[in-house]
Amino acid sequence: MELTVDHFLGLSAALFIIGLMGVLMRRNVLIIFLCVELMVAAVAITFAAFARETNTLDGQTFALFAIAVAAAEAAVGLALILALSRRVRSVDVDEYRTLRD
Amino acid sequence: MPWEVIIFYLIAGVAILSAGGVVAARNPVHSAVLLMVCFIQIAAVFVMLGAEFLAVIQIIVYTGAILVLLLFVLMLVDPEDLPEFHTGRPVQRAIGALLGLILLLEVAAAVVTRTITGRQGSATLENIEAVGGNTEALGRQIYTEHLLAFEIVSMVLTIGILGAIVLAMPERLGVSGYRRRDTISLGHPRGTDLALPATAGAPIRATAGSKPEPAGIGRTLVMAGDPDEQPVVGGGRR
Repeated sequence: MELTVDHFLGLSAALFIIGLMGVLMRRNVLIIFLCVELMVAAVAITFAAFARETNTLDGQTFALFAIAVAAAEAAVGLALILALSRRVRSVDVDEYRTLRD
Repeated sequence: MPWEVIIFYLIAGVAILSAGGVVAARNPVHSAVLLMVCFIQIAAVFVMLGAEFLAVIQIIVYTGAILVLLLFVLMLVDPEDLPEFHTGRPVQRAIGALLGLILLLEVAAAVVTRTITGRQGSATLENIEAVGGNTEALGRQIYTEHLLAFEIVSMVLTIGILGAIVLAMPERLGVSGYRRRDTISLGHPRGTDLALPATAGAPIRATAGSKPEPAGIGRTLVMAGDPDEQPVVGGGRR
C-alpha cells in the first residue's frame, strides 16, 4: 500500500466536512468561527496535495495565500464577534435577529 | 505496509479525532485547544507533502496568532453568555449531520472516481533540492509569477487589520468631544466603556474620595469612566 494523493484528499475532505457540520450544528458563534478556520486549513491540505501530485509549486503558493487571507479573516471575524457580543450581550447566533425584528 | 502510511494514518486519526472534539466540546476553550492540536497535525501533514514552509507558517499563523487571538476574545465574552449546547435544536443538528454525510459521500465518490490529472510541472523533489529547498523555491515562485497576488494579499491584510481595529473599538470613542479618561482592564467587564456598578456617579479618579481597595499586586485599579461621563473640563490628562 502506497501513500497516494488520495489519502491526503480524503483527510482534507474529512476535516472540511467536520468543520461544515460544526458550522451547521453549533450555535455558539465562536465555535462556528473555529470550524470555519478548520475548513480553510483543510482546503490548504488539498492545495498542497495536488501540488505534490503535479510536481508544481502553484498549489503551495495558493495555500500560502489562503492562510494569509484566513489571518485577515480571523482578525475581522473576531472583531465582529466582539462588537456583536457587546451589543447583543450574547454569542448565540439565534439571538442575532436584528434584521428580522 | 510502509512506515509512511502508518504514520500518515496516525496523524490523520489524531487530526480527525481532535476536529470532532472541536465540534463536540461544550467549553469553547476546549474547542480552541483541540483545534490547536488539529492544526499541528495538519502541519505534520504538510511536512509529509514536502511543503515544509507551509508547515512552519501553519504553526506560526494558525496556532500562534489566530488561536491566541481567539482565546483573548473568548476571555472577553462573559461565560454566562455561552449558549447551552446539549439542549434543544434537534432538527438543526439532525439536518447538519445529514447534510455533512451527504457531502462526505459526494466528495468521497469524487475522490475515488477521479480521472483528471494535471500537467506535470518541473518542481520535482530533486529540482527543488537543486534550487535550495522548499522555502527558496516557493520564494522564487511567489516573487516572480505571483507577485501581483502577493501584493494584493498584503493589501488585504492591512485593510483587514484596520477594519478589525475599527470594529472592535468601543463605540463611544468615536463620539467627538468624548475623551477617555482612564482605562484599565483588570476587573473591568469586557474591556468596554460600560458602567461598573460600584463606580456609578462618583468621580473615578483613583484617589478622589475614599481609598480604593488594593487589588492585584498591591496596585490600585483605576476604572474607566461611566457612560454618562462628560468630557474632561480641566485637570484631565492632556
